[in-house]
Amino acid sequence: MIQLTAFGRSLWLQYVALFQWATIPGYIGYKLILPVAQILFFVEFGVFATGSQNALYFALGNALQLTANAGIFGVIATVANERQFGTLPMLLGSPANRLVTFLSRAIVNVIDGVLSVLLGLVVAAVIFRFDIWHGNLPLLGLCIVVISLTTAGLGLLFGSLGLVMRDAIVVANIIYYGLLITGGINFPVSRLPAALQTVAYALPLTRGVEAAREAVAGASFSQVAGLLAGELAVGVGWAFLGYLVFRAFEGYARRGGLQDAY
Amino acid sequence: MAYVRAAAAAFYVSMRLRFISGFAIMGFLIFPLILAAVGLFVLNRPGTTATQWTYGLLGGGLIGYWGIVYLDAGNGIQVERWNGTLEQIFAVPTPLWVIVLGKALGGLVWGMLSFIPTIALAYFGFHALLPRLDPGPFAISFTLLTFSFLAMALSFSPIFAMWRWAFTMVNGFELGTYVLCGFMFPITILPAWLQAVSGLLPPTWGTRALYAATTAEGSHDFAAWWVTTIVLSFVYIGLSVWLFHLVDRRARATGELALV
Repeated sequence: MIQLTAFGRSLWLQYVALFQWATIPGYIGYKLILPVAQILFFVEFGVFATGSQNALYFALGNALQLTANAGIFGVIATVANERQFGTLPMLLGSPANRLVTFLSRAIVNVIDGVLSVLLGLVVAAVIFRFDIWHGNLPLLGLCIVVISLTTAGLGLLFGSLGLVMRDAIVVANIIYYGLLITGGINFPVSRLPAALQTVAYALPLTRGVEAAREAVAGASFSQVAGLLAGELAVGVGWAFLGYLVFRAFEGYARRGGLQDAY
Repeated sequence: MAYVRAAAAAFYVSMRLRFISGFAIMGFLIFPLILAAVGLFVLNRPGTTATQWTYGLLGGGLIGYWGIVYLDAGNGIQVERWNGTLEQIFAVPTPLWVIVLGKALGGLVWGMLSFIPTIALAYFGFHALLPRLDPGPFAISFTLLTFSFLAMALSFSPIFAMWRWAFTMVNGFELGTYVLCGFMFPITILPAWLQAVSGLLPPTWGTRALYAATTAEGSHDFAAWWVTTIVLSFVYIGLSVWLFHLVDRRARATGELALV
């Protein structure tokens, strides 16, 4: 129990210490205003481009993509900011279990990601008066959790770059907005060129968003189980690769004396 | 003349810094390209009208342009604080606004580069071409839009320096600005109350005139839109003059401006 409490406390401290948005203005700006602005922009653009009958498609896609706000930006920040704030040498010098250190970076962000999506859905429902209540809501909830986990998996990989790279947050921006193209957020993945479709299905969100759309349409768990399993596999794959990269870069940073390089 | 030289030096140094900044390169190249790609993929369906294609084609560039202006030029004072050079800038005889103006002009030039990747993507990726433009009104509208961007950047710069939470809010609302200014779609599709809000932003009118110059459809009330852009821009410049005085007074009175 004591260990669990300590683990929980370290999760929280890690989050507030390394996550730049853990201030009231930061949270309002990036966790309340940004989701509303993103949904508003893409829904209005979608209505202009394709007609008002498709508004829910855009709202749902962008609400789900908000998981990447926490999963990509958040996770990358909590790894990369060790360098920015000068605490990387202490982290690399500590005897802490690296797998626990690594994975714990994601947990609060996964919870945060789920909250972001819920906020996005509420905003969409209130502003645009969408009716999603007739869909399979428990299944939609499961999809949201799965997507939050898988985007965090990708975030862990790119966060590891922060151990050796100064501008990891640039990478975060590219990945976050790049998922708008590959994730099936605003248009079906089938519109992408074949090579990009392959990339899309190798990235998080794509299958999860498909599953969520089907859940809103009333599908049962068995109908989307394959998609969710695929989404989870993609997320685990990226997280595992991220762990390997984290260990490799850790050694590289130590050998090259890059911990303090800024 | 000394002010022109100082502004030119600020322009030159800021441009050199942009060439080696990952953020600056992302701002003109990758970010607008991604948003333009999303827009063009959405529009890439049967039945898309020429007007819609035009919004997809120019919208990505406008988004990149604005993104650089408010981020880069708007943070003209903040960047000096982050680099530890703010006190030196206050100590030199050149007024702060001259240096910020030089940097903001650099931001405008850098921002215009956003149109290159987005138009190239539209042409090579989607075979989309710019429509037959009305060159005179288009050029005037673009110039006035640029002026309105400059006016807003000059207003943001002291605001971001004095109230750091302001940047967080504006940055979080970035996509909302695209909505209000009508970069990717006409603001006429927005609810009336939102149109009233967007009418207070000078780029809204410049953008409206710019798109009107690309089509024969709809109203072409250029004179009214241009005058509105100019008047609103001067209002923002007036506001920025007052804000620059405020920054200057605060910096010298408290000595805390350089604190991060």
